[in-house]
Amino acid sequence: MAYETVIRTLRQKITSCESQLQDLRRHLAEAEYQNQRQRALSHPERNVHSSADPLAHDFTHGMHDDFTSEIFAALSHSEEAAPPKRRWPLETTEYKRYGRQLIMPEIGLQGQLRLKKASVLIVGVGGLGCPAAAYLVGAGVGTVGLVDGDTVEESNLHRQILHSTAKVNMTKVDSAIVSLHSLNPHVNLVPHYGRLTPETAISTLQHYDLVLDCTDTPASRYLISDTCVLLGKPLVSASALRTDGQLMVLNNPPLPPGNAAGGPCYRCVFPKPPPPESVVSCGDGGILGPVVGTMGVLQALEALKVLTKEPSTSVTRSASPDPPSLLIFSAYSSPMFRTIRLRTRKPKCAACSAHATVTAEALNSGSLDYVQFCGTINPVDALGPNERISVDNYAKIRLDVNPFTGLEPSKDSHILVDVREKVQFDLCSLEGSVNVPFSTVSSTSSKVKNGPGTEPITEAGWVAELRQHVDKPIFVVCRMGNDSQVTVKKLKELGLDNGGQRWIGDIRGGLRAWRNNVDKDFPEY
Amino acid sequence: MAPVKAPAGHFSILYFAAASTYTTKTNEHLPAPLEARDLFSKLEDRYPGIKDKVLSSCAITVNLAYIDLDGDDAPDLGLVIKEGDEVAIIPPVSSG
Repeated sequence: MAYETVIRTLRQKITSCESQLQDLRRHLAEAEYQNQRQRALSHPERNVHSSADPLAHDFTHGMHDDFTSEIFAALSHSEEAAPPKRRWPLETTEYKRYGRQLIMPEIGLQGQLRLKKASVLIVGVGGLGCPAAAYLVGAGVGTVGLVDGDTVEESNLHRQILHSTAKVNMTKVDSAIVSLHSLNPHVNLVPHYGRLTPETAISTLQHYDLVLDCTDTPASRYLISDTCVLLGKPLVSASALRTDGQLMVLNNPPLPPGNAAGGPCYRCVFPKPPPPESVVSCGDGGILGPVVGTMGVLQALEALKVLTKEPSTSVTRSASPDPPSLLIFSAYSSPMFRTIRLRTRKPKCAACSAHATVTAEALNSGSLDYVQFCGTINPVDALGPNERISVDNYAKIRLDVNPFTGLEPSKDSHILVDVREKVQFDLCSLEGSVNVPFSTVSSTSSKVKNGPGTEPITEAGWVAELRQHVDKPIFVVCRMGNDSQVTVKKLKELGLDNGGQRWIGDIRGGLRAWRNNVDKDFPEY
Repeated sequence: MAPVKAPAGHFSILYFAAASTYTTKTNEHLPAPLEARDLFSKLEDRYPGIKDKVLSSCAITVNLAYIDLDGDDAPDLGLVIKEGDEVAIIPPVSSG
């Protein structure tokens, strides 16, 4: 334990020193460069008059004086008219660094200059934000802001490519900045620590040209979209879960609310948030690294398209950006990509229509409650104290001699039902437990048996199984201790408790509590 | 698993993300024609509870175009889903 702390502290120190070192190197490089440039600017003639230059020799030794002075006059005249200007619009290193994209007609010099002038805010530096940030910083976007309130966890590393093993426990913003600095020191990186809130949204977003929504909750998606509409910023929004992803470029063109020619916002596409109990996080539902990576990379691509687009002039072309679309990625379907044509702004949209109720005042004052709008789920508290057992007491039943009967502990004295999905059960389970996935429990109706006028349906196999061994109490366990409570209720509805004669209850806190209090080696996933 | 072309008198329906989890299917075929206003009740019959738990927050598309069924006076309630059409149920995915 002591070693673990030492190792962790050392790792943190090293990471922080590395970050400082990187900063110092960057400052040094910048200072050296500025120094060089200053010298070049303060002695521009030096280059012209270099003695190795044969032309300079002619000028000083082999020409008529009046001709020489005439040329000098012409040269100095043009030099005075314009302020001292760099010879090329980009730095020498930038031509080299961005050369492969500079030679593409989609980017070109003008596109690169637009990128250099641009600022992008990336909200969320996780599975989407990491790849998106890497490509935008790599491409030379002038300023990139990063918003996140979390710290790096080991379970992030399979997909959040800017973070690394040594940076576990570091803030995601700092970790990303270290990686991005070493990728491209020319980009100005701006940290924003903490989650975006309605009160901070406008002040955080207003200095940027474009916003990337790389967050992971419905509430933040509505908040970011509303703020972008109010501030007139285009928004590239993406999401991913399990094997699916979605991508939209919203509020593009970013015209004021009420202007029907503006691009639709998140509310136009999804006016109602999903019911909170249906919202699944990557921690609960799982996520494949390349799936969320694909979506983040595509966000960077769409951002580059928006930023490098030639501003339309009334003469050359009409202001018609790509029609709005929703890209659906489904890794295990064929085709993997589907593009859905979206409508224009919704005539009754709460954010971007003429009837908008979302205003800057409401946002700033905090009177718009996004968490309430999207709903919250309370931790399940469905059972009475006599229907529950702590992991410590359950451990006694499994591991100790019964103090009253003197019987050896036995796993056969009771039935342990594990209601995690099969794939999780296969990862690790308590010896002797029976797997009845919660999805199976949920889809089993407790009412079919007495349905009037309907054919009696044969009882589900797992229910029949549990109905045997009437003498054995049933303990129900799950990952966190929520589904197990719901299952206990269901088992009682199904009459498995024999009218109260058989004990059925859940193990409080689930396998997480089991690991924390009883068996440290039980895997955490 | 490429969806098979709908048989005569049917349209295809694709279920994404939470809709796929709820129906335990990625696609199936339903009898056509069907007026868009009846789509949700048709699915509710087949999958009790799906309307409130999934459909109410979904984007619905017909032949890769978004249709607006939100509210009693939504513009596309009268749209008729025809034989061979492809309908998609697209719940918002919010994680990332």
